[in-house]
Amino acid sequence: MAGIAQKLASNQKQVAISEFFEKNKHFLGFDSLARSLITAVKEAVDNALDACEEARILPTIRIQISKIDTKKDIIRLVVEDNGPGIPQKSIEKVFGQLLFGSRFHAIRQSRGQQGIGITGVVMYCQLTTGRTTHVRSKIATEPTAAVVDIGLDTRKNKATKANAGREIWYQEDGSSKEHGTEVTAEMKAKYQKGRQSVWQYLRMTSIVNPHAEITFIDPEGVTHHWNRVTERLPTKVESIKPHPHGIELGQLQRMVSESKDLNLNHFLLNNFSGVTNRARKELCKAAELEGTRKMKTIKGDDIRHLLEAFQGERLCDGSPAKLLKPPTNCLSPIEEMLIKKGLSKTIDSRFVTTLTRVPSVTQGNPFQVEVGLIFGGSMASDKPVEVLRFANRVPLMYQQGGCLLTKAIESVDWRQYGLEQAGGKGVPKGPAAILVHLASTNVQFTSEAKEALADNGEVMEEARKAMLEMGRGLRKHLEKKKKMAKTKEKFELINDILPAIAEKSAHILDRPVPELAGSITKIMSAVICESTTVWNKETKQTDIEIKLFNYTSRVRAYTILATWPEKAGAKIIGNKTGGRKEALGVWAWKLDALQPGEQVKINYSLTGLERGDWTETEILFRGSQDVIGATKMDEKFLEEIRRQEKLQSEEAVVEDSSASGEIAQEAIPEPIVAAPEGQRTLFGGDA
Amino acid sequence: MMSRMHSPEETKAAMHEVVAEMYDRIVKGEPPTMTLPVRTKTNIGFDQKLGVYKYGKKKSVRDATSLGSAKQLLRALHVVEFIEEMLDAGKSSTLREMYYISEAWGLGKFGSQNESNNLAEDLEIVTKCLREDFKLRPEEDGARMIGNLTLRERNRRGEWMRINARDDVGDSGYGVPYNVELEKIELLEHDIDFIMAIETGGMFDRLIENGFDEDFRCGLLHLKGQPARSTRRIMKRMSEEWDLPVVVFLDGDPWSFRIFASIAYGAIKTAHISEYLATPSATYLGITADDIVAYDLPSDDLSKKDIEALNAELSDPRFADSWWQEQINMMLELGKKAEQQSLAKYGLDFVTETYLPEKLNELGLA
Repeated sequence: MAGIAQKLASNQKQVAISEFFEKNKHFLGFDSLARSLITAVKEAVDNALDACEEARILPTIRIQISKIDTKKDIIRLVVEDNGPGIPQKSIEKVFGQLLFGSRFHAIRQSRGQQGIGITGVVMYCQLTTGRTTHVRSKIATEPTAAVVDIGLDTRKNKATKANAGREIWYQEDGSSKEHGTEVTAEMKAKYQKGRQSVWQYLRMTSIVNPHAEITFIDPEGVTHHWNRVTERLPTKVESIKPHPHGIELGQLQRMVSESKDLNLNHFLLNNFSGVTNRARKELCKAAELEGTRKMKTIKGDDIRHLLEAFQGERLCDGSPAKLLKPPTNCLSPIEEMLIKKGLSKTIDSRFVTTLTRVPSVTQGNPFQVEVGLIFGGSMASDKPVEVLRFANRVPLMYQQGGCLLTKAIESVDWRQYGLEQAGGKGVPKGPAAILVHLASTNVQFTSEAKEALADNGEVMEEARKAMLEMGRGLRKHLEKKKKMAKTKEKFELINDILPAIAEKSAHILDRPVPELAGSITKIMSAVICESTTVWNKETKQTDIEIKLFNYTSRVRAYTILATWPEKAGAKIIGNKTGGRKEALGVWAWKLDALQPGEQVKINYSLTGLERGDWTETEILFRGSQDVIGATKMDEKFLEEIRRQEKLQSEEAVVEDSSASGEIAQEAIPEPIVAAPEGQRTLFGGDA
Repeated sequence: MMSRMHSPEETKAAMHEVVAEMYDRIVKGEPPTMTLPVRTKTNIGFDQKLGVYKYGKKKSVRDATSLGSAKQLLRALHVVEFIEEMLDAGKSSTLREMYYISEAWGLGKFGSQNESNNLAEDLEIVTKCLREDFKLRPEEDGARMIGNLTLRERNRRGEWMRINARDDVGDSGYGVPYNVELEKIELLEHDIDFIMAIETGGMFDRLIENGFDEDFRCGLLHLKGQPARSTRRIMKRMSEEWDLPVVVFLDGDPWSFRIFASIAYGAIKTAHISEYLATPSATYLGITADDIVAYDLPSDDLSKKDIEALNAELSDPRFADSWWQEQINMMLELGKKAEQQSLAKYGLDFVTETYLPEKLNELGLA
């Protein structure tokens, strides 16, 4: 939450900020010795990930913690990254000054929203051990790395530096490092294990940053490693301008006073998102202000009126000014497939379902909820499920109970989806972990400690909906598993046991081995569908085979449909059976009549995917008789897919078409809303 | 006494009928089946002629439409084949050995020994042969016996040995072998008035130590819980061939009632050979529900399972007579059960000097 820092920035002089920290270090995550260490790791790792993301580098991060003085609880933390590095001149600003950078004013999703970040660590080290923080950083264009010891003068809010110099940065293998930053900090802290530990923080970080390679060496010298499972970097996020719905009075006052715009018209068009030319006119009219007023003349009540117009309290011709929603490309969801990979690499399991909701808006701030559920495997079945909470890709490890995301989980009756839950309330029990990620330009926390999300009806509703959909995916999976086990049994029966019975009985009676077809039909008396989805190492494709057997005594005709991740860019190849695209991500084959005892095979492959992207294909059918191993097509399903498809294509086109008037178009640099990729899957865990 | 055993040829022919049922169904284009009597208390009825409970007419068809029953059929075929091999080679094996041999049967292998035991019983029932015909021996060992009775047992060298179960045995008594048929055991002579079957080893040893068998002129038989077939068989033979009364002295709990029912009326699991194993004249001596009250015996509360068992017994045809209904209801009302050895409350000799004489007196045996 930017609130406190904003207050600091606007109302107080910087001198007081360091003092404020000293007095309020608990707000900033330095309240206990164990937590201080986690916070320090967090700030350093967040910085590393952010820097890499901005520079489009795949991050490789190494964290080492060692105990320097066990009696006095002095710990050394080293965090090294392969980021772009920091130019020598900027090092002391980055590490030594609070509120460095312009993050406060930029509206977009970022990890270190508060901007107090790593400076807090430097300060904490200074306060607890009196020691400076050693920084080594190298940028690619310079031959040597800059080194410097940073301390902090907390009264003057100024960095103190010492031992500045340059050196060649040799790596362990003797080669010199190309670019990156290394921070060595010594602080009073305690290393702990368990749910609230550095290890857990890094594990969670690795789940939501599947593109990062993280190595952690703990104080006992044990190396923990989390692999990079994708080469895809998070989508580059665009900064957006504030949306009128999300503006507070203080902010508006400051924007007005700092404005260099020609007049109110320009001010409105240039500084806000969602304000079209028509909206500008309506806002002016509602606020009863002339659009041509010079900014200098807008004061006091004018600003209040403007704000009221923003919030729809002042009307234009009886209704609030019509604003566009803010663009959502300022958000960087992790996206279903990558969450799936992140979860799968970290937790051993049998089933993963993930879901990224379409972005939404609350109080002028775009947000997006993503959820993931991992089930089975080696997880304990008699304990509450593990809750993995994230805000803008940052793990939340404390205050689980008071967090909106936890409440969203608790609001679902998980019993109907196959998890245990006493009375249908609270965190469910079972061999599962539930992940919730909120991506937002303005994450609202319950307190400055930034560990629990504050209540918000719209966010809650989105999270809840996502849970329900995911729950349905789990239930479907469990049902399918049951059905598949039954089908497998039947196949074992007719393929292995029945022939053995025939053979043995014939042998004992000394008679010829009888024909089995009749018995098989009677035993199965069903149409059975079997499908496999396997990654082909050689071709780097996902191979799918669908088999349909008619074990009934009648002729059967079906249309078979299969899902594929079209939205994620997958393409179907080698599909000799033909068919046609039924809807987004659904292919259909109308099959010839199957004679009794006959079987048919459909084979195809998917390209454009990585290993593990697509592991289960949902098979549906149209036809009068049930097919074991496939789901009867619910036509509402298709309608829903088509409706979504339509919505998305419309959204891409309906970008301000009403603009006209005295202001030239180029004065409105509105970011274009791109159709988000891999948005949502209608088929639960199959994406 | 007539032997119930069949010749190898008869046995084979009976087994082939079972196999033919499966084979013929496949030829007809149907799932193979095996037809068995229903083996629950809902399908046992009193046979007036034999004086024991036998399976009724209800049949269940095990057909190969589910993996489980199909595997059962396949196992039955393996067992038939195995028995034929033993018959041809003149060998025999224990049920446990058969269970291990089934390891090599691939898909037809047994999941547990219980499965193989049950299947052997299934085959007995449908073929009307005995497991002795199948050359399958039980694992369970028979009972111990003490008392002035003399029998002849053919030992493994084929020689007949004369054994008096009082003078020729140690403190542990005469061990009853698994086969007590005529070709193995002959009952010669006795000087006793009745036979007493005892549930626990502790009580059996107490009576021996106190010289009860001699004082009361009886044969003591240790049942070892639910008695093995051979134990029930030898009890029946002694009762019939020597015309001796049999009294049964058990703990006072629902499970002891079941033991008595299997001795006197026939066990549900072996109702196909009840007339061969059951001793209809056997009498339940104690511990009865009245005894718990009358002798103020130390008792335990009935568990949930005990209560379930008692309720099940109320609807079991073998307990349909008024005496049993009364005993069962009384125990349910008391909510208590007592062990035989709780009689020790009144001293080690109480059972032999007071309790048993009083109970036997009621029956006119002392």
